[in-house]
Amino acid sequence: MGAGVMLLELLSPVMEEMSYLMPGEVFPEFFRLEMFQRSLLAAVIVSIVAGYLGSFLLVRNLALIGDGLAHVSFGGVAIGIVLGATSPLEYALVASVTSAIMIYELQSRNILAGDASIAIFLTGMLAFGLVYLRYSGVGITVEVESYLWGDLLLTSSSDLDTIAFFCILSYLFLIIMQPILLATAVDPLSSHVQGIPVRQIGLLFSVITAIVVVTMVQVVGTLLVTALLVTPAATAQLISRSFRSCLFWSQVFGLASIFLGLYFSAELDTGSGAMIALVAAILFAIVGATVALKSSISSLSRESKQAGDI
Amino acid sequence: MSETILDVCDLSVERSGKVVIKDVCLHVTEGDFVGIVGPNGSGKSTLLLAILGVLKPKSGTIQVYGKPPNSVITNKKIGWVSQAAANLPKNVKITVRELVKLGTINRANMFDRLNRSSNDRVDEAIRKTGLENVKHTEVGRLSGGQKQRAVIARALASEADFIILDEPMVGIDRDSKNSLLKLLDGLCHEEGKTILMVSHDLTAIRQTAHRMVFLEETIRFDGPVKSFPGLEKLADLRGIEPVH
Repeated sequence: MGAGVMLLELLSPVMEEMSYLMPGEVFPEFFRLEMFQRSLLAAVIVSIVAGYLGSFLLVRNLALIGDGLAHVSFGGVAIGIVLGATSPLEYALVASVTSAIMIYELQSRNILAGDASIAIFLTGMLAFGLVYLRYSGVGITVEVESYLWGDLLLTSSSDLDTIAFFCILSYLFLIIMQPILLATAVDPLSSHVQGIPVRQIGLLFSVITAIVVVTMVQVVGTLLVTALLVTPAATAQLISRSFRSCLFWSQVFGLASIFLGLYFSAELDTGSGAMIALVAAILFAIVGATVALKSSISSLSRESKQAGDI
Repeated sequence: MSETILDVCDLSVERSGKVVIKDVCLHVTEGDFVGIVGPNGSGKSTLLLAILGVLKPKSGTIQVYGKPPNSVITNKKIGWVSQAAANLPKNVKITVRELVKLGTINRANMFDRLNRSSNDRVDEAIRKTGLENVKHTEVGRLSGGQKQRAVIARALASEADFIILDEPMVGIDRDSKNSLLKLLDGLCHEEGKTILMVSHDLTAIRQTAHRMVFLEETIRFDGPVKSFPGLEKLADLRGIEPVH
């Protein structure tokens, strides 16, 4: 029994109790039926880690790396499907980690500036996946589509185990390395002077990002990974005044996107991945508009106070 | 006799195949306050990057506390202060205290949770730099002078004895500049820190440094502040001929 199934057994009774408090007709089933519980747990685990990781990606100006690596992992998934693998995600993992290392090397050695290397890997591996699927005669099947758009309800016990194992491992790594990751992102030269191995830390961070992205492909699909990786972290930045609160709020917004997204997708019978991504974007818009409104009201009241003083 | 902190001997450094500095010799002892001046592209930043161990010398040697740059010993003793206006990332929400805390990390304690002595050092660095009333404020909301103080506090939190500053006066108003210079003077004379500062601001360096170094590919002047040459002599040193 893997980490995911153990966690599910532990939380299953709690989820069942929670089901009575949940609104809607279909949504409470996510807390009651084992198949749905599995999906919900996978989504919750992924959203927590993705939110935490996303805050570091924003600091490092790497908002698009998640999108790039997700498309790369689709190339890996294609190889897995054509070869008849039981879990194509393992192939995605190899493709994603290898590409993450190569992208990091291209960027850190100044061979390709900015996002150019991400763009090349993104399109190259996605194209490879599509060509390989057609060439091998498999084509774009329902299974292939589930990796493109995400199909949370197809999460098997072994998928849950894989997701839980890699996410918990990545989360622990991120928590332990948090000060060093922040230091190297904020000021790499000072970190170098302090004796922190900046290059190695950057490389390790890229590998962790690649791993987390692959676990997310199952939940939201290749095309929507950025929604859980970057949008909650960006929403958190709007209301946070410290990095600590950014980390906290990005996880809260990630979880909110998952719960609201699953609720609406269940009740309106739409795809879960797309609804989760849409909710994450709507949350950003609501928080952004509120912050902008608040700041214009306070600047208006400041101006009127100054005019009164004159 | 004072301890030798930095010993640069016949140093030449290339960047992108071009010699940027050559035959540079610089000796800094404990308690010195050395100001390095020079025109744009004269090699000031290159010299600092070589001292920090980021750029490798083409020839010559650099010894910091008797060791090569970026060794375990120098990691704890050097505090790097970059130009805050240009180097603090805009896409991070981080408080002054969070930023200063990053200064306490080093090779030996990278994976440790911060302990009480680290926290004390952070508070002490914030107090010395006069940032107590903004310690929970986001760095992006500070004035130019306060931002620069925050970066200095980060360097102080590492307990460094040798502070290296790169253009700390850029983007700072006159009043903040004066109080920043007082802070640096206090660090040198009251705390016994050794300071090496690169700046375009000749007046600021004249006000604070004990010694001035004029660098333009190589060192063209190295001596006490009061002996720093006037404009005509400086033009002569740089090989610039009168045009009128």
